[in-house]
Amino acid sequence: MSNPTASAQGPEKSPEKSPEQPAKKATKKAPPAPQQALFSKIFHWVNLISLLLLLTSGLQIYNANPVFGGRSGWHFPALFTLGGWLAGGRHWHFAAMWFFSMNLLIYGIYIFITRRWKRRYASSSDIQVLQTGKNPKRRNYAWHRVVYTAIMPVLVLAIASGLAMYKPAQFYWLSGLFINWQILRTVHFITVPIVVLFTLMHSLLALKVGQFRLVKSMFT
Amino acid sequence: MQPTPPSRRISGRILTRRRILQLSGLSGAGVLLNACGAPLYSNQVSQVSEPLNQRVEGLLLRPQTPVPEYPVSAITPDALLINSFNGTPQIDPATFQLTLDGAVDRPMQLSMAELQAMPLTSMVIRHVCVEGWAAIVQWGGVRLQDLATLVQPKPEAKYVYFQSADNYYESWDLPSALHPQTLMAYQRDGHQLAPENGAPLRLATPVKLGYKLSKWVTRISFMADLPDQQGYWEDKGYEWFAGL
Repeated sequence: MSNPTASAQGPEKSPEKSPEQPAKKATKKAPPAPQQALFSKIFHWVNLISLLLLLTSGLQIYNANPVFGGRSGWHFPALFTLGGWLAGGRHWHFAAMWFFSMNLLIYGIYIFITRRWKRRYASSSDIQVLQTGKNPKRRNYAWHRVVYTAIMPVLVLAIASGLAMYKPAQFYWLSGLFINWQILRTVHFITVPIVVLFTLMHSLLALKVGQFRLVKSMFT
Repeated sequence: MQPTPPSRRISGRILTRRRILQLSGLSGAGVLLNACGAPLYSNQVSQVSEPLNQRVEGLLLRPQTPVPEYPVSAITPDALLINSFNGTPQIDPATFQLTLDGAVDRPMQLSMAELQAMPLTSMVIRHVCVEGWAAIVQWGGVRLQDLATLVQPKPEAKYVYFQSADNYYESWDLPSALHPQTLMAYQRDGHQLAPENGAPLRLATPVKLGYKLSKWVTRISFMADLPDQQGYWEDKGYEWFAGL
């Protein structure tokens, strides 16, 4: 577990079976299925669900006065919104924010104490692989780690910009960092397309690195 | 799992296991995502989350600490949009009377001349609307704190109730009402307040969302308990504290 490249997440342990082989025979010979720490799985689930609620209720709030164009700006279709109207969207948003932020905080403490942030997140060796590496499997693995590492500061930025807008008077120093209200709203909103894009890349890279077995290991 | 050819052959009108799974997945996503005009469980959600949020908002409020203000050059006159639920009442400032009553030792009525004779407080603050927009505005008026000193609220007074000429109504927690930047304003951006902005007298503060800032205020009542009707928008489903 201490060596990231030898961990079950690594490409080295991906099943070597040929596609023609029947699945049942292969499972007996394949290396043990990748395992994820329970804490990581809980974080992943709570993060996924709370982000989905925050994104959809956030678009509902967005529609009350679009960041781009104000009242006459483009609105998101109701299919992507949650809450039905502004007050409902706000209720969902300010309930889900607790699950999202507390989950991230607890997970942050967890990876700090267990030093997982050193082993399971992108390091200089991943950057080196991306610059000079020739092994495509190792390169995919480095991309995977870099991408899921990069989303972490975006999630923190979503909380900081959200807090700055939710309580701009009490956290005036935080709001002040964003220069003006329009920039603050834009930064908070931009986290939505980034998270959507990330979800897509993260899913594809996870499949590339560890096939469905890896994805399954994070969800079950 | 299943090799593809057989399931292809029985496609069409027959529901395969795969098709059923696909459909159930779609409808599951629909239940979660497709709000389509209904305030999906938001009332139930708020019953759980609002007590916590309100408590945190109350703790975050520093009742006697002024919020840092902006320079006059930062004022954005065009950014302040006009919102009203029921038009613009026309009020003659010469005959206008502000009623102060409720759980107070000395209820009274004040004319505009009497209000304007009181110390004028001016501030340049950010006005934030629940819809998401904000504007930097200069407000000038009388501190609600100073009016409270005049009427002497009783110890049991915990809330303040505002009634407006257009029948808008709002209720506030006492600490927010007694914040040094909570004003009964009669000036905006250095000029006399315009009717659409709430003339002759409206609420202004940096510590509450715009829908708490009643325009055309005619009566201010100090109260021991929150009334059933907590506010025009609150009664429709918006949060009560609405602190900033």
